[in-house]
Parts: sequence; structure tokens; C-alpha cells
Amino acid sequence: MITVSWLIALPAIAAIVLLLLPLGQKIAGYLALLVSLAVAGAVIGFIYRYEPLGGLQFGDNIAWINPLGVRWHVALNGVSLAMVAVTALVTCCAIGYGMWARRERSHASFALLLLTEAFLIIVFTAQDLVVFYIGFEGMLIPLLVLLAAWGGKGRKAAMVQVIAYTAMGTLLMLLAIAWLGFTAPGGPNFDMVAAIGRGNDWVFAAFAFALAIKSPLFPFHGWVLPAYRESSAEVAAVLSGVASKAGGFAFLAILVPLFPEQSAKYAWVFITLGAIGFLYGAFLAFRQPDGRGVVAYSSIAQMSFIILGIFLLNDRGATGATFQMVNHALVSAALFLLAGWLETQAGSGSFKHLGGLARSRPVLATTALILGMAALAVPGSSVFASEFLILLGAYENYWWLGAIITLGIVLAAMYMLRWVSAVLHEREGDFVGTHNPPDLHRGALLCIVPLALCLLGLSIAPAQFTDRVNATTTAMINAAAKEAGR
Amino acid sequence: MIQGPSVDWIAIAPEVALIVGAFGLLLLATFARAYERGLSIVVGLGALAVSVAFSVAAWGNAPVVTMADAFRVDDLTELVRITVAIMAALVILLSVGWARFREHGSEFTALLLLVCAGMGVVAGSTSFVTLFVGLELFSLSLYVLCAFDGKSRASLEAGFKYLVLGTIGSIVLVYGAAFLYGATGSFMYGGVAASLAEGGSHDSIVTLGTALVLIGLLFKVGAMPFHMWVPDVYEGAPTQVTGFMAGATKLVAFVALARIVLEALPAVEHLWSPVLIIAAVVTIIGGNIAALVQTNVKRMIAWSSVGAAGYALIGIIVNGSDGLRGLVFYLAAYAFTAMGAFAVIAVFERDQVREKGYATLDGMRGWGFSRPFAAMAMVVFLLAFAGFPPTAGFIGKFVVSGTAVTHGYAYLAIIGAIGSVIGLGYYLRVILSMYDRSRKSDVGLPASPGLGGATLVILICLAVVLLGGIVPGILLDWSGQASAFLAVVK
Repeated sequence: MITVSWLIALPAIAAIVLLLLPLGQKIAGYLALLVSLAVAGAVIGFIYRYEPLGGLQFGDNIAWINPLGVRWHVALNGVSLAMVAVTALVTCCAIGYGMWARRERSHASFALLLLTEAFLIIVFTAQDLVVFYIGFEGMLIPLLVLLAAWGGKGRKAAMVQVIAYTAMGTLLMLLAIAWLGFTAPGGPNFDMVAAIGRGNDWVFAAFAFALAIKSPLFPFHGWVLPAYRESSAEVAAVLSGVASKAGGFAFLAILVPLFPEQSAKYAWVFITLGAIGFLYGAFLAFRQPDGRGVVAYSSIAQMSFIILGIFLLNDRGATGATFQMVNHALVSAALFLLAGWLETQAGSGSFKHLGGLARSRPVLATTALILGMAALAVPGSSVFASEFLILLGAYENYWWLGAIITLGIVLAAMYMLRWVSAVLHEREGDFVGTHNPPDLHRGALLCIVPLALCLLGLSIAPAQFTDRVNATTTAMINAAAKEAGR
Repeated sequence: MIQGPSVDWIAIAPEVALIVGAFGLLLLATFARAYERGLSIVVGLGALAVSVAFSVAAWGNAPVVTMADAFRVDDLTELVRITVAIMAALVILLSVGWARFREHGSEFTALLLLVCAGMGVVAGSTSFVTLFVGLELFSLSLYVLCAFDGKSRASLEAGFKYLVLGTIGSIVLVYGAAFLYGATGSFMYGGVAASLAEGGSHDSIVTLGTALVLIGLLFKVGAMPFHMWVPDVYEGAPTQVTGFMAGATKLVAFVALARIVLEALPAVEHLWSPVLIIAAVVTIIGGNIAALVQTNVKRMIAWSSVGAAGYALIGIIVNGSDGLRGLVFYLAAYAFTAMGAFAVIAVFERDQVREKGYATLDGMRGWGFSRPFAAMAMVVFLLAFAGFPPTAGFIGKFVVSGTAVTHGYAYLAIIGAIGSVIGLGYYLRVILSMYDRSRKSDVGLPASPGLGGATLVILICLAVVLLGGIVPGILLDWSGQASAFLAVVK
């Protein structure tokens, strides 16, 4: 019987094999793609067999580090399943894009992408705090190396910022985890269930700090723009698509259930920061001179919005936030891949040099428009469904919050439309004339299409998604909602 | 006739085996000059194996006190003996292809065996007299080992610096012990503790003695502000000796420090605890910041080992059974990590004979592509230094900082976290330099002679570092068992 541990072991082992064997570019690429597809296939199997009301499923729980009371406990619930699925899909697309882009020393870059996937799946499935931490800190290394070795010109400065922000946050969280585990009644115990309700404000703050940086929540987003801009396209897609979700996911799946009292007490902090971040990110996205800037700031806005949704502490907010995490993962990964493709083909991602690309490039125009429409939450799209859920949740608590969020959603439409028109329409940019980029063709298209198809599928049948996660999200926020009196 | 103390020969058999091996080797080598290298390897490894066998056989036995109660063999002593002997064996393996070893292998090996014997004495000493005897035995031999590469000015300088500064450290320690003797009338840790617990009228002398003893010991562990010998000595000494110092010497010095403050000076914790706290904070921050600006990798790791000493101090400050278990685990894991990292640097230096063998960041550029295995191992060692999962360094960091947080020293753990973040900065510099695509160094370097030994060393260290991170249960149990013999104050 395949369990979650297989999903972690398979990419990890493949990564080690790829790192150690000096395979050729093609073989390494196909091997990595095969492994990532295998993981995605296993996840599809899990989705079919998943029982929405069945609690934790497909898990392993075995003794690991006995003297410290650490257990290898990983399992899937509705929210983890959603996040693991999107991780598997985005990794496939990122590896595919890496093959298309013919990265130098590609076997190492594929190995690091697979390693990132393994660590991310650990984060999304861990039921033991130390295991969770291992995933959370571990993913930093492959991502940093990917950024540093295959990044753009400003990669060194970007790396320093990523280290300074994220490493500090995660280490404080480690101290919080140690406190929770070592003070557990009856000897050290790091199981998440054992930690429920035992934390104090400081422990809560350390967790929240680490997760806010990772997500990123305004005002802890300083590292995001350089990291997203300097990474290669597929790494930026993984970073903004799924790695950032590790923060949002942990807010919902770990912080709120483990600290119900503090979550209710300080919910206003996260709602305020989330609302500010949502508007702030949207405004800055509107002013960005290039495609990556737009997607990066829109990511900041969206993650702030998601965290706001979580801390509404009601059903609609939490389910909407989960749905929005998946949608945003698909949208931002696809947009980063597309932005990367534009940079390689047109020689620049800057709007100054682009424009008028829709002419005689029907595939590109269609893809960009579909993604743009999805991102700006056109009614009927899955993003609309998720944003609407959060909006409803907000109105349920405070009408004025709903009003502010509506403003943010309108702004999102503005910056996405600006992006669409700056790339596809308006006057033809000078780089478009000189480079004469081709239409989006097979290789790169194949990496973007699955993401767009998933968005379409979720748009057609959003209930398929919400029905599967609803029970889990309700259980996660239940205790905190009671504390908050909802 | 003077009656000597009774000696339990079985208890001190590991040291006896090493000393017999050392002198036997010197004697044999005079008869068989032609086979000096082979003889050194066989006799050296053999003596170490016998020593380890005695230690392993005694593991888990009840503690034995011998030599007029001045030497105690408990599991902590055994753990130190075993770790040190393994470190020494790795040094011999690393030296196989070294020109100096071919010429003077017997002296090198004999000195190394004496160092191990001295370290065993230090680890088990329960009296300032035994401590000093052991300390001088291993220090004097180590001074020579540092200067062993006679053709290198840096090596001679390292040996000389270590000699002068190390001697000052020893003198300060002895001076402090003398004051404590004056105040308490005993050289025995137990006697000092009992006398201090009663409370006497010699407060100022006790304070002075404690201060001097602490300074002497902080010298030996290389904590700030008594760290100034570390970077120069680590950089100049033959690389395998540097690895040995970073691993074994640090472990032994910390065990001596822990035994003294916990067994001899528990009554004056109010004196030593603040000193150690300040030293820990200054060492963690200072060591890591200084490492950040280094361009020589050997020197960088030397500075980072200064920072690591600050981290280990937390284990003593916290001073509960958890803290001491963390201390022992951290130091044992650190020993293998450091030895592995310096083994990789030794390989690099052999590749760079023409560039005078300096392991600079610049010189390492692109080297990872020509020696993929060594470079990949280096990445693991550096991540272990930085405390990343899944390495033993992560477990060490986790246990030490975890006990600090749960025992009311959260601020020390936060300082440690800041140090780790800074550390990540310079460890990544090394990794990036090794995998810098802008310069492809000579791909397919010729197989240097003696690389087999280095490869074996790297493999062993890699296995320990990874197993210590993936299945740390056994090592944690051993560390807990050994540290249980340190008297716990609280």
C-alpha cells in the first residue's frame, strides 16, 4: 500500500541519484520528469481514494528519534492533499520548463527541484513538529542553491536577503518547537496533537513570525521581490507557486489549531496586516515595470489575502483561503513560466520593450488571456469562487472588511489587465521588432497548459474541491472559532 | 620507601596501550627505516585499535576510581577516549600520502599516540594535578604536530604560536588551581567542592582562583576573548592536524571544563555562570562575524569553530542532564563534521600544489566539478556546521538550543540562532565558490597518491554525520549515558 512517505522518498532518492551520477542533459531531464509524473500519478490515486470525513489518511506513524520523542508521522488531510497535489503538478511543469530552457548542468538543477518537492511534501503532510520543521528549513537549501547557481545578475544580493529573512524566522520557530516538545507532559513529545493549546504568546509569536516571512505577509515581504526576480523562471514558479504556500498552509493547519486561544486573541493583527498587504501589493503590482514584478507583488497581495481569510476564523474564510492557495499556486506558477518564456524569447521582461505580441501569435495571446482572466477573478473562474468565499466570510464578521477586500479585488483586475495589455496589445515594443519572438510553441506550452487546464477544471466544478477540504478546514479552525465566539 | 598509590592497570589500559605503542614504534623504526611508513600505519592503527577495544570493553561498567582517587574511568572518559582514538586513526589515514609522513612517519604517529594518551588522562582526571599532567602531555605533543610540516613557514609559526599561547593558558590554569588549593587545601575536585560547600573565609582567593582556572580553560576551548591562537594555528598547522584539533581537542577541553565547573566548583556557580554566559554570547557572535569576512576556507572554518565553542558553552551553562547530553552529542558530532571538512580541504590542497596549497575561496572556484564526491561531501559537512537537517549538526543544534529554551535561557538560544544565520552566509559562500560555473578548473585531475586514505576518511565522517542526523537515537543514548556521569548541580 502506497503511503505518503513514498511521495517523499521517491523524489528524494531520485534527487540523490541525479546528483551523484553525471547523467546527460536529456536522460537526466526525462528521469526527473518521470519521477515527478510518478509522484503526480500517486497523488491522483490519493485524491480518488480520499474520504473527506475520514480524518488523517494514507499516513505513517513510526518511532524515529526515541530519546527526543520524535516520530516520523506524516499523513494527508483535505488541505494537505490539495497542497501536495498542486506541489506535484507545479514540480512537473517546472522540470518540464527546465528541460525546455536547457539549463546548464541541468541534472543538478532537476535534482534540486525534486529535493524541494520532497521537502515541501514533508511540510504539507507532517503531523510531528520536528518533521514539519525539517521540511520547512530543509527546502531552503535547494531553493537557495537554485537561486544562487542559476539565478540572474542580482542573485547574490537576493540570496543574502532570503537568508537573512527566512533563516532567522525558521530558527526562532525551531526554538518555539523545542519549547513545545520538551515541555510536553510525560516526556518530550512533538506530535502536533500533543501541542494543542499548550503554547504561550511568545511561542505563538515565534511561529507566526516564521510563517509570516515565508508566506510572505506584509510587512515581512522584503526578500520576495529580489528572489522572484533573480530566480530562473521555473524556480520562481516553484517559489511563488508552492514554496510560499508552506507559510499559508502552516498558518491554517498548524498555527490556528495549535494555538486556538492566541489565534482568536490576535486575529485582528493578521486581518489588519492582511488587508494592508492586499491593497499595498495590488497598488505596487500596478506600478511595476515588468512582468515578474507584477506577478511578484500580486503574490504578496494574494498571500496577504489568504492569511486574512484564514484569520476570519469561519468556515467560508478558511475554505476560501485553501481554495485560493491552490488557485494562486496554479496562476502564479503559470504566469512566472510565461514571464520567463517571454524574457528568453523577446530578450526582456520589461513592458518598455514588449507590447503588441498578440499579433499573429494566437496561442500566446490565448494562453496569456486565459491566465490573465483567471488571475483577475472573472466571475465563473475558480479564483472568483475562492475570492468570493473569503469575501463572504469577511462580510460575515465585519461588513467594512468586506468593503476593503472588494476594493482590493478591483485593483487586482486593474493590474492584471495592465499586464495583459502591456504584453499583448498597445504599440509593438522595440524588442519585439528586433527579436521577433515566435508564438508559444510545443515545449514551453506543454508546461503551462496543464496548469491552465487545472484552473479550468476547478472553475467548472469548484464543489469537487470544496467538498473534499471543507471538513478539514472546519476542524482546523473550530477551536479558535469557539475562542473568538463565532 | 615511599608508598606509591595503587594502580588499577585495567582501568588505564587504553592509555598504557597508546604509550607502549608510541615508544615501541619509535624503537622499531630505528631498526627498519626502509619500512617506516608502513610500520607507522600498522603500529599506529594497531595501538589505537587496542586502546579502543579496552575502552569499548569497559563501556557501561560502573565507574572505577584509581591513582589515589585522582583518575576516574566512567562512560564519559570512555566516550572521549574512543572518539579521540577514532580521530587519531583518521589523521593517520589522511597522512598516508603526505611527503613528511613518508620521511618521519614514526615520529608523527608516536606523537599522535601520546596526544591521545594525554587526552584520555584529561578526560578522566578528578584532580587538578592529573589534569595538568594530561594537559601538558597532549599539548606539548600537539605543539610539535602543528609545526610538523617543517618546510612550511606557516606550520612553524603555528606551532610556535600555539606553544607560547597554549603555555600561557596552562600557566594561568595552574596558577588558578594553586589559589584554589590555598583556599580549600585540596587538589581533588571533590575536596575543593566539599570545602567550598562548607563556606570558608577565603572568598577573595576563591574568586581569584576560579577566575584564573576559567581563563585557562576558556583558552583551551578557544572561546572568546581567549581565542586569538585559534585562527592562526588552525590555518598554519598541517590540515589533518587542524581537523584533529577542531574535533578532538575541543571535545577534551570541554569535558575538562565541564568536569571542573560541575564537580569542583558547583558551590560558586554564581561566579562562573555569568562568565560563561558572557563568553558564550561574545564567542557566538564574534566568531561567526569574523568568519564572514575570511577568504581562506581553513581560516573561515577555524573562526566558525570559535563560534561553535560558544554554542557548546550553552550546554554547560544550562547544566541539567539535557544540556550535558546535548553538549556531548554536539561535540562528538562536531568532531566528525570538522574532521570531514578538513579532510576535503586536504584533498583540495593536494590538487593545488602549485598554488602553494592555500584553500582560498577564489582558488576553490569550480573545483566542485572536478572532484564531485569530495565537494558534495563538503556541502554536507558545511550544512552540518550550519545545523541543517538531515545532518547530525541539526540534532546537536536542536538539543542544545531546545534545552536552553526550556531551562530559562531563551536569550542564549536566540543568540545562537542569530549566529547560525550569520554562519549560513559564509558556508554558502564556500558552496557557491565550489560550484561557480564561471570558471571550470581542470576537469579530470590526476589521481594524487594517497587519495584513497582521504576518501576513506571522508566516507567515514560522511556516514557518521548523516547517520547522526537520520537515526540519531543511538548516538543520543550514548551521549546521555556518558554525560550522566557529570555531577548535575540543579
